[in-house]
Amino acid sequence: MRLFRLLIFLFSFLFFAFITVPVLNLFFVDKHSLIETLKDREVWGALLTTLKGATFSTVLGVLLGVPTAYFLSEFEFRGREFLESILNLPIVIPHVTVGIILLKLLNSKTLLGEFFSELGITFVDTIYGIVVAMCFVSISYVAVSSLLGFRSVDRNLIWSARSLGATPFQVFRYVVFPLTFPYILRGALLSFARAVSEVGALLIIAYYPITAPILMYERFEDYGLKAATPIALLVVLFSLFIFTFLLTLSSLLERKNG
Amino acid sequence: MVEVSVRKKLESFVLSVDFSIGEGEYLTVIGRSGAGKSTLAKVLSGVEGIDSGSIKLNGREISHLPPEKRRISYLPQGNSLFPHMTVLENLLFPLKVKGKKDFSGVNSIVEKFKIGRILDRRPREISGGEAQRASLARAILSEPEVIILDEPLNQLDFFTKTELIEELKKLKGNLTVIHITHDPLEAMELSDKVLLLEKGKVIFLGSWEELIERGKGELPERIRSFFPYR
Repeated sequence: MRLFRLLIFLFSFLFFAFITVPVLNLFFVDKHSLIETLKDREVWGALLTTLKGATFSTVLGVLLGVPTAYFLSEFEFRGREFLESILNLPIVIPHVTVGIILLKLLNSKTLLGEFFSELGITFVDTIYGIVVAMCFVSISYVAVSSLLGFRSVDRNLIWSARSLGATPFQVFRYVVFPLTFPYILRGALLSFARAVSEVGALLIIAYYPITAPILMYERFEDYGLKAATPIALLVVLFSLFIFTFLLTLSSLLERKNG
Repeated sequence: MVEVSVRKKLESFVLSVDFSIGEGEYLTVIGRSGAGKSTLAKVLSGVEGIDSGSIKLNGREISHLPPEKRRISYLPQGNSLFPHMTVLENLLFPLKVKGKKDFSGVNSIVEKFKIGRILDRRPREISGGEAQRASLARAILSEPEVIILDEPLNQLDFFTKTELIEELKKLKGNLTVIHITHDPLEAMELSDKVLLLEKGKVIFLGSWEELIERGKGELPERIRSFFPYR
């Protein structure tokens, strides 16, 4: 029994060490190059592009993913399970492949690419390309989390609400949505985090405008580890800040919902 | 007056019931688990559809209406208070969704069900008995013509059950109540009429006294089996 506990403790310790030691190690960075990086406009521009891309891709993901999740949770029909498995498809496709898939579909020579360029939207090396690629790789998280949320709402509550006089829309607005919101928020948070870290698909479809992870990769390729580390630190701090903020918000809401 | 004549195919049998109850009557539906009692409640309240038949409420056909238009309040089995709202917000819910601004009726209901103390609490912070009282109060605030209670006293301790039975007795005469239970003692205590349901069919409908009277004669074994205490 004692040995068992000891082993569990040891493996948990290794788990946390595995995650935290590399991140903490990042803080031992050369002061001089950190100051240089903080002064570097390209770095701040890349961080801003990342933030913009990830924000828009998350909003797009929520707009598409949440109604889809509600649809899948609410309606029984043949082929529903198949559609549910498609929700996870973007997670299993390698990211460079995602870039190639999107480039093949959306380059200016295709019908769809032409249609969008008529509207003034092109995807190769533009912020639109970044948003689409980030959205593709991250949309599953918000959709799956929302689906879990919608499924977790007790049918009794929906039935009670209806028989108390609420229309289906009112049931959604006052009962289902508030109860599901923490799940949606958590999913959006994961989607956002996933979007921020995207490199593979962006390398293919939208290398520019440059995002922070790609800049980091570029600096590493051109100047080596020392030049890339300060940017890595900034990206980690930036991600941690947003992650902590949204996670706190989501737990507060969950506590409120009981 | 509620007139029911419905058919609905279930997994292992067909729910096929015909009965009527007068205005202000208290009907208990008793039967074993899986007899179709809860399905009957869902069908009457409109959260589940029927295959054929009709449901009339005071002469008005309601079987095609969605639940929110039936004026039947349904308390499903288990907790049905909205967990993200306080008890007061729960009570005001039926008024809010109907766009009513007049909250004058709330006070007397709160007093009647003795829930003044818990108005600002959330459902997870109150006891099972309090939750049931609040659910009942909320159902009444929706101004239904009929109230359907699915096992409302389940999982309550003996004393809370006794208290709640007293609360339920107060509903008698004012509202038409359909109370679903598997406990004959509840039925005996509360009902004007008893309906015995077995495998989706009505095998007895009448007063408790009639049921006892029949029991003196040749009470069929299947009815006798409902009385474990005899």
